[in-house]
Amino acid sequence: MSWLGAVCIFISTTWIGFELAKKVRDRPKQLRQLKVGLQSLEAEIMYGLIPLDEAFLHLSRQLSGPVAEFFLYAGQSLEASVSSVQEAWENGLSHLSASSSFKKEEIEILRQFGATLGRHDRENQQKQIRLALAHLERELAEANEAQLKHEKMYKSLGILLGLLLIILLV
Amino acid sequence: MGFDVNVVFQIAGLGIVVAMLHSVLKMVGKEDYANWVTLLGFIVALFIVISLLNDLFQKVKGVFLFQN
Repeated sequence: MSWLGAVCIFISTTWIGFELAKKVRDRPKQLRQLKVGLQSLEAEIMYGLIPLDEAFLHLSRQLSGPVAEFFLYAGQSLEASVSSVQEAWENGLSHLSASSSFKKEEIEILRQFGATLGRHDRENQQKQIRLALAHLERELAEANEAQLKHEKMYKSLGILLGLLLIILLV
Repeated sequence: MGFDVNVVFQIAGLGIVVAMLHSVLKMVGKEDYANWVTLLGFIVALFIVISLLNDLFQKVKGVFLFQN
């Protein structure tokens, strides 16, 4: 009977460790998706002259994962006649921060970028997109470094803490 | 005289796991956490040893002072 409990403890702590490692591993991937999305948005605004709601829906078809859901959500709430772009963007952001592994910093960068969206002419809009991309580039470098450092650590910490608990409780 | 061999293995396992935790934490550069983990493991091992010593002293008392 006590072996059953020990196996349960070991499996659950290992699982927690792997989940944390997965979160660390997914962050650079999703950041890259987000960068691709913003670059495509720049192209759609500068050369395509497409309205924002259609552009968002295009982007959600190009991308994958939580970032695609974010653009889909923002585009849909823009089509459903939300009063301003900023509000639709905020709706998408609150959805994104729950479903992705982004940290507060990325959400804050996106929020500040969303406040400028649809208020300026094309040149200024392009500058804002470039600014957000530069910020995201910095976050991506930091996220890559964190992945190298912490992914393995979370995995082995989960396993070792499980063993420790079992030894202490047996 | 029922001396429980499992306690020895428990302390040995505790030492091995704490040593591995120390090296993992040191590898990623969190040396302060590593030191805390080692210290806590040491304290837990000491508690186990102290409970064993307590048994020993109770026995000694029982033999020489004719108490149970």
